[in-house]
Amino acid sequence: MGKTIDIIKTKRKVSDSVKENMKAFNKIKRQILKSLETEEKTVPQIAQEIDLPLDVVTYHLMTLQKYGNIEAGEVDDMDEFYFYKLKK
Amino acid sequence: MSKTEEYDVLVIGGGISGEEAALNLADQGYKVLIVEKDLSVGGKMIHLSKVFPTLDCSACITTPKVSETARHPNITIYTYSEVSNIDKKSEYDFRALLTKHPRYVIEDACTGCQLCEEACPVTVQDQYQYDLVGRKAVYVPFSIANPRVAAIDIENCSLCGACEKVCPADCIDFTQEEEEIQIKVKSVVIATGFKLFDPTLIPRYGFGVFKNVVTSMQMERQLVPTRPYNNVLRPKDGKVPDNIAYVLCAGSRDETVGNPICSQVCCMYSIKQAQLLMGALPMADVTIYYLHIRSFGKGFNEFYQQSKDMGVTFIKGKIGKIEETENGDLKLRYEDIESGVVKEANHDMAVLSVGILANDGVSSMFNNKLELDQYNFVEQKDILANPAQTNMSGVYVAGTASGPMDIPDSILSAGAASAETSGYLRGGYDEK
Ligand SMILES: Cc1cc2nc3c(=O)[nH]c(=O)nc-3n(C[C@H](O)[C@H](O)[C@H](O)COP(=O)(O)OP(=O)(O)OC[C@H]3O[C@@H](n4cnc5c(N)ncnc54)[C@H](O)[C@@H]3O)c2cc1C
Ligand code: SF4
Ligand code: SF4
Repeated sequence: MGKTIDIIKTKRKVSDSVKENMKAFNKIKRQILKSLETEEKTVPQIAQEIDLPLDVVTYHLMTLQKYGNIEAGEVDDMDEFYFYKLKK
Repeated sequence: MSKTEEYDVLVIGGGISGEEAALNLADQGYKVLIVEKDLSVGGKMIHLSKVFPTLDCSACITTPKVSETARHPNITIYTYSEVSNIDKKSEYDFRALLTKHPRYVIEDACTGCQLCEEACPVTVQDQYQYDLVGRKAVYVPFSIANPRVAAIDIENCSLCGACEKVCPADCIDFTQEEEEIQIKVKSVVIATGFKLFDPTLIPRYGFGVFKNVVTSMQMERQLVPTRPYNNVLRPKDGKVPDNIAYVLCAGSRDETVGNPICSQVCCMYSIKQAQLLMGALPMADVTIYYLHIRSFGKGFNEFYQQSKDMGVTFIKGKIGKIEETENGDLKLRYEDIESGVVKEANHDMAVLSVGILANDGVSSMFNNKLELDQYNFVEQKDILANPAQTNMSGVYVAGTASGPMDIPDSILSAGAASAETSGYLRGGYDEK
């Protein structure tokens, strides 16, 4: 089959919100991955470093875990927060 | 002109009730069409962790049933499809219009390899994980979906073409369009199930604002092996919770939100989740705030007692308000029903045991000729003698489409619906 994407492109436009959402997600993804380059971190540590709300970091981090970019390590001494690291 | 297909029975909805009714009828030799509006059959049950009161794994029970339905020679399934204009011409002659929405993926060719997902640059909330994580714009709905094939969420697609480039089976097809099929059947089984109460309708519970207030369905997902996180965690900050509260009757038995009836399953699924949480988080405290515990089924009261023996705390209390404290913990204000005193308690996560409501659009499929009861569930015309009978001869109801019920009762109800349907098909209507 040829490329059908070219056919749909003549019929549909991509909305601004789709473009903005894609940009925003991928920006936070890069920030989280960069933050984990140096060492493994917990959600509050990442949130503090990249200055984003905790729930935004949790959502993005868990999505990156789902897609195999990162993995969970040990839980901290208080049994409260897991450390997350880049998946090699 | 769209094509016409003929079957003996149209089953609307492919949850446990629809599948059970379809299998019973197909085993008797009837040709059955299941129309499911979602991307996969399985209904809510396929997303549950374990089931009360036996704590059997829900997926382990659903998956074989789903495969048996999908493989049955007398059953045809259309997923991501809807029916409308169901018109009764005469007894044993119903006509309907089936609309098959485009997946933009050739179903028979897709192997479910998920390479398209890897390539897709768009991430949006995953509805099958109840928004706790993201999914791609092209996605296999969930690991045990049936059919286990990808679909493109065209509203969120950036039209980058990456999926089409990488698909090894060459099955991405952006030329697909909505397809219409005329259906002719002899009878209909309605198994459209239920929808969950939307807890944002009770703003004092803070759902959607305080991220550590979750619904029971979100907690159900946190308790399955294919969970959204690596453990049961708080959505706000990824902390392991150690003091979890359950708020029963969230949106049930509550005139103020227009739903005065009991949802029948919330007490028991909350007790189930509390037991599962104690297994997943051995150090955690779980407190259930309830009005009355309704543990009326076989083995239910023993299950309730078992949870007390495991250390679950039960407080007869009506939650007035939930507030968030600075570290994301929650302060629950409640009326202690035994003493009549208003008290406060701190928890680090709260689960709203949301109620079961009638699904929308059921009567409109029949051009509003199908009667509903006062709570918008399908009206059972002869509840004692013929519990599946609706106001239309030849049209039967199975499972939670007729009212809240658990899985065993849904299966029994589907049994009644299939028996009454086959009675009708064998000429039962003419004999009456
Ligand atoms: C949090 C939670 C936990 C639970 N835990 C338990 C438990 O442990 N044990 C237990 O016994 N019960 C439990 N239940 C109850 C259980 O989920 C229901 O009893 C069961 O899912 C009912 O099955 P159903 O097929 O009637 O409905 P559903 O599961 O709702 O299935 C209906 C199907 O119909 C489809 N549909 C809807 N409208 C249309 C339409 N117009 N056209 C085509 N298709 C349509 C839907 O997409 C869905 O696939 C729980 C419920 C909840 C909310
Ligand atoms: S659409 Fe193609 S790439 Fe995506 S899961 Fe199916 S076969 Fe794999
Ligand atoms: S075309 Fe759409 S679905 Fe396919 S990879 Fe691009 S954004 Fe994802």
